[in-house]
Amino acid sequence: MTTFDSCSLEQASKLLDLVITRLDRVAENVLSIELAAPNGEPLPSWQAGAHIDVLLPGGIVRQYSLCGDPDRTDHWRIGVLRDPCSRGGSIYVHEELKIGGGLTVAGPRNNFGLVDSTRYLFIAGGIGITPIIPMIRAVAGQRKPWTLLYGGRSRRSMAFLDDIALISGGETHIVPQDEFGLLDLDRFLGRYDPATAVYCCGPSPLLNAVEKKCQTWQAGALHLERFAPSEKVATRETGSFEVELARSGRHIVVPPYRSLLDILEENGCQVTNSCRAGICGTCLVRVLSGVPEHNDDVLSRADQEAGEVMLVCVSRAKSDRLVLDL
Amino acid sequence: MVDVRKIRGGEGLDDINDELDEILDSVVENTRQATEAFFAAYDENPDPKILAAWLQPRAWREIDYVFLLNEQIRRYGLAFERRHITLLAKQSFQEAEHYEMVGRAIESLGGEVPVSAPPQAKPWSDFLWDCLERHPLAAIAAWNCSETSASGSFEPTFKAGERHGFDEVVRIYKQIENDEKFHVGLGRQVLAAYAKTDRDREEILRAMRGMRDIAWKTFTPESVAQARQA
Ligand SMILES: Cc1cc2nc3c(=O)[nH]c(=O)nc-3n(C[C@H](O)[C@H](O)[C@H](O)COP(=O)(O)OP(=O)(O)OC[C@H]3O[C@@H](n4cnc5c(N)ncnc54)[C@H](O)[C@@H]3O)c2cc1C
Ligand code: FES
Ligand SMILES: [Fe+2]
Ligand SMILES: [Fe+2]
Repeated sequence: MTTFDSCSLEQASKLLDLVITRLDRVAENVLSIELAAPNGEPLPSWQAGAHIDVLLPGGIVRQYSLCGDPDRTDHWRIGVLRDPCSRGGSIYVHEELKIGGGLTVAGPRNNFGLVDSTRYLFIAGGIGITPIIPMIRAVAGQRKPWTLLYGGRSRRSMAFLDDIALISGGETHIVPQDEFGLLDLDRFLGRYDPATAVYCCGPSPLLNAVEKKCQTWQAGALHLERFAPSEKVATRETGSFEVELARSGRHIVVPPYRSLLDILEENGCQVTNSCRAGICGTCLVRVLSGVPEHNDDVLSRADQEAGEVMLVCVSRAKSDRLVLDL
Repeated sequence: MVDVRKIRGGEGLDDINDELDEILDSVVENTRQATEAFFAAYDENPDPKILAAWLQPRAWREIDYVFLLNEQIRRYGLAFERRHITLLAKQSFQEAEHYEMVGRAIESLGGEVPVSAPPQAKPWSDFLWDCLERHPLAAIAAWNCSETSASGSFEPTFKAGERHGFDEVVRIYKQIENDEKFHVGLGRQVLAAYAKTDRDREEILRAMRGMRDIAWKTFTPESVAQARQA
């Protein structure tokens, strides 16, 4: 079972206001961003596999893996792919960030840490290369044997090829799909070798294929990180908003870090509830106007998008004001 | 609109979701039938003591969940995210409240609140404690099945409550019904978040299948009759 590093979880809840010190287009649709503390102070330490949460306008929070050198505490580097179906995260990063501008982040946090092993096989697809680069550096630094299998649509779309070329001591297979087709997983994963730790990050189809190949392996042999679009993490409880209670015409204000349900109760509004955590669905309230920001785990995506109901224990507002059927 | 079985928060059950739902549907249906059969028999002979006897294994389940949840947290909790520890502890507190509320209802009907496992609740309790030994997720899977099964008992209980006017029992079960949605959603989320291997999934299925064959039994009129004879 997964064990969680409570120390890094604590660090992850602290917000840092950083300055953008460098922007480079490192491949088609991939922007490399360097961040530093405004006063030049050292940044919190991190280890290969870690990511940070980047807080963007409109309450958008996105995760990006740290892909620079963990020994450099004067700056962090992330690499961001522009997602054509973006709801705003990567598009904003690509279009709005400027050198000298600020960026609020939380972290670092690591769910993809390196385990000790005799040998390592790294499999990266597309932007999934980002957490892998510091891993290879760490393993190469320990002079342990490693193999990298890195696939992408075309050579032009594959970020950080120069950085990879500079890391010595391993075996690198760069596999642009338009030249060589898909990654030859059979060749590299055909046989289970308990002395090799396998790390894989990339698009879902690649992760699923790798997972399938390794399904009979011993638990813990395969390490995956999914760049799944953020669901839960967007619940930074910041920003106040106003709520109108339609039945009484009363107006109340929900301050940052207080739940809407708490404030309703303080104002004498009884709302059925149980978990107060977005799980049971019992605190459902009808939204008559305004745009809710859904932070629950249980309303269907369709209901969330329709925005006609919300769970007031965890959800907040994207608009400045909500009118509720209360 | 809200289906707690479709809770988000993990992919570990993706391959077995359909099978889990089949098990859960069947145990809900069995519980509904058992509860209806119980109240059909009760309609013939509406003796409050019989209703109290029917509630006794229910009260035991509530307090046994408290013990199980706390043991689950003590043994395996630190492998979970802190949020899940908090929520399991919150569930434990609510189960203690249920024990208190169902206990009060039993007393108001002239019955006695169990302070050890009543014989009719023994197979259920033994099975859960075995699951807790077996695998970090097995007891959660088993009680998720048992708690889901309870949802089949609410409707027939509320309807019988209207016929017989046991308003206090209905009020209590309305609150329990809300909390049960939380417990079922939480269980499913925890299983989905931490099940990683095929062995995890096998143990989850094994626990659910085992509970499917047990959970509904104490709702039957036969179980109550046996208990009253003993
Ligand atoms: C641990 C971690 C590390 C990551 N590291 C990196 C990294 O190093 N580099 C990088 O570029 N990205 C990384 N990501 C992904 C990144 O956080 C964003 O998900 C990505 O940039 C897309 O954000 P977006 O706002 O542009 O797109 P989104 O609006 O989030 O859309 C992304 C995709 O999800 C689909 N989608 C839209 N709405 C929903 C919805 N409601 N529910 C589900 N899917 C939806 C869209 O169609 C689109 O295909 C990482 C993610 C995680 C979890
Ligand atoms: S109280 Fe459970 S979802 Fe709001
Ligand atoms: Fe309960
Ligand atoms: Fe419960």
